[in-house]
Amino acid sequence: MKFDTVIMGGGLSGLTCGIALAKAGQRVALVSAGQSSLHFASGSFDLMGYDAQGAPVSNPPEAIKALPEQHPYKKVGDIAALAEQAQQLLLEAGIGTTGTATANHNRLTPLGAFKPTWLTTEGYVTIDGDKLPWTKVALMNIIGYLDFPTKFIADGLRNAGADVEIKPITLPELNEARKSPTEMRATNIAKVLGNQEVVTRLAAEINAKAGDAQVVLLPAVLGIKDDKLAQLLKQQITKPLHFVATIPPSVPGTRMQALLRKRFEALGGMFLNGDKVVAGTIAGDKLHNVTTEKLEGTKLVADNFVMATGSFMSRGLVSDYKKVYEPILGVDVDYIAERPQWTQNDVFDAQPYMEFGVRTDNQLRVAKDGTTLANVYAVGQILSGNNKLKLCNGEGLDMLTALAVANTIKK
Amino acid sequence: MEPKIKEYDVIVIGGGITGAGTARDCSMRGLKTLLVERLDFSYGATGRNHGLLHSGARYAVTDKESATECIQENMILRKIARHCVEETDGFFITLPEDDLAYQRTFVDACHAAGIRADIIDPEEAKRLEPSVNPTLTGAVRIPDASIDPFRLTMANIYDAQLHGAETLTYHEVTDIIINQNRVEGVRCLDHITGQTKEFRAKVTINAAGIWGALIAQKAGVTVNMFPARGALLIFGHRVNHMVINRCRKPANADILVPDDTVCVIGTTSDRVPMDTVDDMRVTPEEVEVLLREGEKLAPALASTRILRAYAGVRPLVAADNDPSGRSISRGIVCLDHETRDGLAGFITITGGKMMTYRLMAEDATNMACGKLGVDKKSETASTPLPGSEPDAPKPAKKTVAFKAAEGRHGTLTTAFSLTTDIVDDALVCECEHVSVGEVNFAINNLNVHNLVNLRRRTRVGMGTCQGELCAARAAGVMCRQHEDAANVKTDLAAFINERWKGAQPVAWGDNMAEAQLTATIYEGLCGLNQYARKEEVQ
Repeated sequence: MKFDTVIMGGGLSGLTCGIALAKAGQRVALVSAGQSSLHFASGSFDLMGYDAQGAPVSNPPEAIKALPEQHPYKKVGDIAALAEQAQQLLLEAGIGTTGTATANHNRLTPLGAFKPTWLTTEGYVTIDGDKLPWTKVALMNIIGYLDFPTKFIADGLRNAGADVEIKPITLPELNEARKSPTEMRATNIAKVLGNQEVVTRLAAEINAKAGDAQVVLLPAVLGIKDDKLAQLLKQQITKPLHFVATIPPSVPGTRMQALLRKRFEALGGMFLNGDKVVAGTIAGDKLHNVTTEKLEGTKLVADNFVMATGSFMSRGLVSDYKKVYEPILGVDVDYIAERPQWTQNDVFDAQPYMEFGVRTDNQLRVAKDGTTLANVYAVGQILSGNNKLKLCNGEGLDMLTALAVANTIKK
Repeated sequence: MEPKIKEYDVIVIGGGITGAGTARDCSMRGLKTLLVERLDFSYGATGRNHGLLHSGARYAVTDKESATECIQENMILRKIARHCVEETDGFFITLPEDDLAYQRTFVDACHAAGIRADIIDPEEAKRLEPSVNPTLTGAVRIPDASIDPFRLTMANIYDAQLHGAETLTYHEVTDIIINQNRVEGVRCLDHITGQTKEFRAKVTINAAGIWGALIAQKAGVTVNMFPARGALLIFGHRVNHMVINRCRKPANADILVPDDTVCVIGTTSDRVPMDTVDDMRVTPEEVEVLLREGEKLAPALASTRILRAYAGVRPLVAADNDPSGRSISRGIVCLDHETRDGLAGFITITGGKMMTYRLMAEDATNMACGKLGVDKKSETASTPLPGSEPDAPKPAKKTVAFKAAEGRHGTLTTAFSLTTDIVDDALVCECEHVSVGEVNFAINNLNVHNLVNLRRRTRVGMGTCQGELCAARAAGVMCRQHEDAANVKTDLAAFINERWKGAQPVAWGDNMAEAQLTATIYEGLCGLNQYARKEEVQ
C-alpha cells in the first residue's frame, strides 16, 4: 500500500499530524496500538506552565525564548502561530476550548492543586491567577466513586478563598453499578450515565442538592463520545456547572481521542487500530516502507514517515539493564550511558530519564547510526531534550511539533 | 510534657516482630505492658527479609542449635499463625558448579537437628517445581514455608492490645531513665505531636533490633552488635511455588521464596558501619549480584519484571568474650543487664531470626517475670494468634475483597466484612483487592498514621502497579477519617517517594515505563509535587 505519509502512533501528536496532513490533501495512514496517554489527560492543554527554574509562566511564547537551543520547541518556528493553528484544529474536530497561548490560566487538578495551562476544554473549571470566579461552591461527587477525592479538591478551593460544601449524589443505576467493586471508574460511570433519560434524572438530583451555591462542580464522568450529554445536563441545571478532572481513566481524554480519530478519518485518513509498526526498510538515507504486526506481508510504502510513538510509558522508547533504545527502527537516541545516572533519589526532582529521546536535526528529522534519515520525522514525547513534567508542556509539545512537521512535509 | 507519668510493669522498646511478640507474651501473663516504637511496626529488619519460614536446614551444617530452634518454631508457627503461613515446602538444589558430596553432609545434619530432609531425583524436582534450574544435579526436599512478617507482627500487636497492652508508634526513646543503677523507664519523643513523654516501668526490655545497640548505649551499657546488611529483590509474579535454596554453605542470593503473588530473591550480606543502618537504599552492585545469582536458581527470573529492591540490617551479636566479632552466632541472645552490668530492671533481647521471635519473646518475658516475681508460664506456643482461631463466623457470600482480606487477616476479616454498607466493598487497590472496609478497619484498629503504615497493614500499593492509582484512592479514604486534607496530600507525596526508593535501583524496562506513568499522573496531572516535603520521616 502506498501513502504520502505513514504515521506511527495514534496519540495526540500522531493524530494532530495526521489531521493536518489529511486536511492538506495528503493520503495518510496512521498505525495506532490503541490506548494512548490521552487516557490520563486532564482536559486541558499545557503549553509551558513553568520555566527552567520552576517559576510559573504567564506568557509561554516569551518564556520559550529562554529555553536552550536544542529544546524541541526551538525547532518548530513561530510558537504563537502554531498554537493558534492547534486550537483551530481542535475546534474543527469538535473540541471547543478556551484560552490563548500568550496568557496562561490555571486548571484545577484532581488533588485540588492549580497548574498553569494554555487551553481548557469548554465546560471545565478555569481559574485566572489565584482568584476564583465564585465564593460559594457545591462540590458534588457520586457516592462510592473513589477517583475524585473531594476533600483534597475542597482544600485547594478553600485555600483560594471559596466556601465549599461537599454533596454526595447518586442514582438507582449508580447504586446498581456499585455492586461490582471495580465498576466505579470514570469511563464506566460515563457509560452508566450514557443516555438522555438518566442525565435528566441526574440533573434533578443535582438541582435538589445544590442549595444556595453559586456554582456546581462535578467530576468529569460524562460524555465519552462527545459533549452532547454534558450540554444537556448544563441546560437542565439551574446554576452554572463545571467539570473537574478525575484520577484516570480520563473521560475527556477518551473523548478527545475518539473525536480526533473521527476527524482524521472524515478527512480521508486511514486509521489502523490495534496494530503497531514492527520494522522498516531503509535504503540509503531514506525509509522506504514499514511493516506492521497485523498486516502480514503487506508493506506500507510512503514518501514520508512520522514517529509519534511516545516515550517510555507509551513504549516509544525502551530501556533494559544496559541501554535505552528506540524499538522500531533503532534510530539514534540521546541518553546517559551510565544507568545509575538515569534517575535521581527524590521522585519529585528533575529525573534525567525524562529528557531521553530520539535525536533530531533542526527539522525534527531522526538519524540512524549518525546519518540523518531524510524522510523520517519525530514528534511529541519521543523527542529528546524535554522534561514535560518540569516545564508542564506535554500537550503543547505534542501538538506544536506535530504541526511543524506537517508544515515541513506539506512543503 | 504530660502531667501524669504513666506506670507499667514492662516497657518493650521496638515494634518489630520481637518487640510485638514480647508485648504479647508479657500481656498474656498479666503484666501491664507498654510498647514504644520509633517509627512504624515492622519498619526494620522484620519488614525487610525474605518472608521465609525457615525449616532450619540452612543452618543445620554450621549451627545445629539455631537449626533445632528453627524447626521447632516452624512447627509452632504453622499452628498459631496459620493465616500468616503458606505451606509451600522447599528444595535445596545442587548445581553443576556445586559439590554434590555436600548433599550427604547436609542431609545428615538436618536429620541430627530433627529436620525432615529427603533426597529426591532431579527429574522429580523439576516436575514438582518447573521453574527450577533444569541443570540441577541434586535436590533435597525440606519443610520450608513462606510467612508474611507484616501480618505476623500485626497479629501479635493486636493480640497484645486485646490483653491490655498499650502500643505507641512514632515514639522514639530519647533517654533511658536510670536511678541508682536501676532502669526506671524511658523518655520518648512523640514524632506526631512533637511532645516529650515519660513512661515508668519496673522492667524495660530492649527489643530494638540493630538499633538496640544504640538503646543499650543510652542506658550506659555495651552490646556488641555487628550490623549485617542484606539486600533483596521482589519480582512481579510468583515464578516458583516452592522455596528454592542452594545446597552449599550459605552465600549471597541463594534463596528464592514465593510470597503471596510475588517472589523474593536474596540476600546479599555485608558488614556495614553502625551509622549507615538507616540508609536502606539498594546499590547497583547489590542489584547485579542478586540478579546474577538469582537466575541460577530459576532461569525465568532473567525475563521477569523486578518490582522493587529493598534492604534490611540483621542485628548480629558478638559473644561477650569476642569483641572483634569473629565468632558471630545467629542464635538468640537474652541479656540480663543486672547480672552482666550491674544495671537492674533492664533486659536486651536480640540476635535470633524473624521466625524465632516467639521463642525470643518467651525468653525475655521469662526473665522479666523472674524480676517481677510473677510465676506464670508462657502460653504463646499453643494459643493461636487473632486471625488463626479455629472457628469464626463467616459471611454468607464471599466477595473477591473478602477472600483477599481473609488471606491477610484470617478470621479477623469478619470484623470488617459483615457490614451492610455496599460502599465498603468498593476496591481501593485492584492489584491486591483491598476494599474500603479493610482500609477503614486498618485505620481504626491497627495504628495507621500514614499511607506507608496502611501499606504494611493491608498491602495497598504493594501489587504490580506499585501504587499507581490506588495510592490516591487510599489517600482519599484516609482523608475521610483524618480531617486535615493538606497533611494527607503531603503524606501521599511521601508515599510515592517511598515507593520510588524501592523502584529506582531497578528502574529499567517495564519499571522505567511504570515510573514515568506514575510521575505523569501524580506530578503532571495532579500536581502532587506542590505538596511534597523534603526529608520525610517514614
